[in-house]
Amino acid sequence: MMDNAVLEKMIKEVMSSMNKEDSYTSKTESAPGARMTEANYPLSEKMGKTIKAPTGKTLDEITIEGVMNGTITANDVKIAPETLEMQAQVAESVGRDAFARNLRRAAELIAVPDARVLEIYNALRPYRSTKAELLEIADELESKYCCKINSAFVREAAMLYESRGRLKK
Amino acid sequence: MKSKRFQVLSERPVNKDGFVKEWPEVGLIAMNSPYDPKPSVKLENGVIVELDGKKRADFDLLDTFIADYSINKENTEKVMAMDSLKLAHMLADINVGRDELVKLTTAMTPAKVVEIVGHMNVLELMMALTKMRARKTPSNQCHVTNLKDNPIQIAADAAEAALRGFDEQETTVGIARYAPFNALALLVGAQVGRPGILTQCAVEEATELILGMRGLTAYAETVSVYGTEQVFIDGDDTPWSKSFLASAYASRGLKMRYTSGTGSEVLMGYAEKKSMLYLEARCIFVTKGAGVQGLQNGSISCIGVPGGVPGGIRAVLAENVITTMMDLEVASGNDQTFSHSDIRRTARTLMQMIPGTDFIFSGYSATPNYDNMFAGSNFDADDYDDYNILQRDLKVDGGLRPVLEEEVVKVRNKAAKVLQCVFKELDLTVITDEEVEAATYAHGSKDMPDRNVVDDLNSTEDMMKRGITGIDVVKAIKKSGYDDLAESLLGMLKLRVSGDHLHTSAIIDSNFHVISAVNDKNDYRGPGTGYAMSEARWNEVQDIPNAIDAADYK
Repeated sequence: MMDNAVLEKMIKEVMSSMNKEDSYTSKTESAPGARMTEANYPLSEKMGKTIKAPTGKTLDEITIEGVMNGTITANDVKIAPETLEMQAQVAESVGRDAFARNLRRAAELIAVPDARVLEIYNALRPYRSTKAELLEIADELESKYCCKINSAFVREAAMLYESRGRLKK
Repeated sequence: MKSKRFQVLSERPVNKDGFVKEWPEVGLIAMNSPYDPKPSVKLENGVIVELDGKKRADFDLLDTFIADYSINKENTEKVMAMDSLKLAHMLADINVGRDELVKLTTAMTPAKVVEIVGHMNVLELMMALTKMRARKTPSNQCHVTNLKDNPIQIAADAAEAALRGFDEQETTVGIARYAPFNALALLVGAQVGRPGILTQCAVEEATELILGMRGLTAYAETVSVYGTEQVFIDGDDTPWSKSFLASAYASRGLKMRYTSGTGSEVLMGYAEKKSMLYLEARCIFVTKGAGVQGLQNGSISCIGVPGGVPGGIRAVLAENVITTMMDLEVASGNDQTFSHSDIRRTARTLMQMIPGTDFIFSGYSATPNYDNMFAGSNFDADDYDDYNILQRDLKVDGGLRPVLEEEVVKVRNKAAKVLQCVFKELDLTVITDEEVEAATYAHGSKDMPDRNVVDDLNSTEDMMKRGITGIDVVKAIKKSGYDDLAESLLGMLKLRVSGDHLHTSAIIDSNFHVISAVNDKNDYRGPGTGYAMSEARWNEVQDIPNAIDAADYK
């Protein structure tokens, strides 16, 4: 277990070093074309021309040369919401609905900066937040980042934490 | 007069182990407890209003989560009405396929699955495991740690472990602030051994996520869930916070699984009079409901608890089986020191090794036991030859292969050298030639020179402050002249653009082809079906360096 002071420090470092470049997607779009199934999997091999990093780079464009000359950065090796939606469809085609739901929640969270994701996670831990604080987070997720599913999920947590006495005392 | 025979027996290793009689009232019972809830379900307008004898008004956080997220409600009333003994027969029957069963098993309640496996003996449970595991090809995972958190040794041990066949590698720390070095050393070392190895660094949840976001790890596993609300809260989480964390990982293109295991609730004092297996079933259901692709279970760090009660190792096998019934990846334990007796620890591992699982060990110790910072493992580096010969004796694929001393020395040396260059390029602490040499030939950290811990910790802090990412590591390796290795590391980072490895039971081969329960589905239906070793793989398993060739004597 790492103590909270060290943790807080690390979180602050992430915030200061990565804060600005993180919200590379402003909206969630549905995947292009037809629904994906297991026949399209692995996407890296069968849909290699379609899938892109959130910066628009295709897999073929992510090369060592690009890394060395600085045209490829850490933001080019991240997943895009469209790709996670495609993977959710693949999951559904093999009957994994719960897993697909997780991927859709994840697709929404791409827009939320790293440090904010960590803070929201900590706020959802027991006895960390008042009901109002959780509802505020839910509003922020919905209005600022278009995270509809996550927003409803946090609202549900706020109600249940209240009834089970798990809110900040 | 004392019996000399009893004197000898009392000194046997097995009698150094701890054993305890069943005590169902406090949950000190492996499975089949008289206090376990009876299976039941009631739906009203598509909402579960009764779960295993409890009314919705009395639900705690876990009950609510399981009822709303973990159970396929379409089939549930039909499946719950089926006879549990009949369902147990179907699980053991080679003529009933996995696909057909998963439709039923994912519509059950925790008490129902526990009742079903309660009818099965270990042989039947092993049949069920071989049929129900999600990925057709079995695999293995190792621990790479050491007492001193020595990064050069981690890199060398990781390279050797990759060469020996582990597809996933996990490290952790003695001193928490060493985490960035351990993660970096494991990432680099594993890729030297073989391209495509998935690596992780088990530390506190939020820190683990930061390391993943930075591209220093590829997956996470130590995300614990528990079977009662109070223990979950004591673990400083709720099903909602843990589900959010699961989505956070996927949003950054990182594979993840949860961790749980029989015995944790009774050890933490809130078993609510339930059997260990019933409470573990609830953990498995929480994992399913969170939409996580898999679970590490098989008691894990609590193995002493089921290990001490009657039928405990049967229950540990049963929890692995329930995980596969929920259509989840299973990394099946065998990852903590379990017994003083070699006979007992081997028997315990055969439960998973013979059927094969997604990861037979969720940490085989790739170091000597004294260097294992997860409190030891059931098998370690000193058991490599025993394990290889078990595979050869039984013609069972346990995921490892025999290796030659020369090739091991070569990859260990290369891993240590590469890490030396990476540290230099990234302006981290100095790794000396003497340390490279020591790591090349070391058995464990006792053979490694001491490092300046204060300097190392300042350097890890600086590394995090500067925001060093996987891309920086790729650059450092390329600048050091290891072109192939730079490509491999970039390949690891590119995985997260497609997310193919997020799927159930994913592993990566040396050409960065993803093998998972989507494109490598387990289709076992009895003899001649399912996974079988290829001829090449069997030749590799047979080919131990110390086997005599009759041709040498002609």
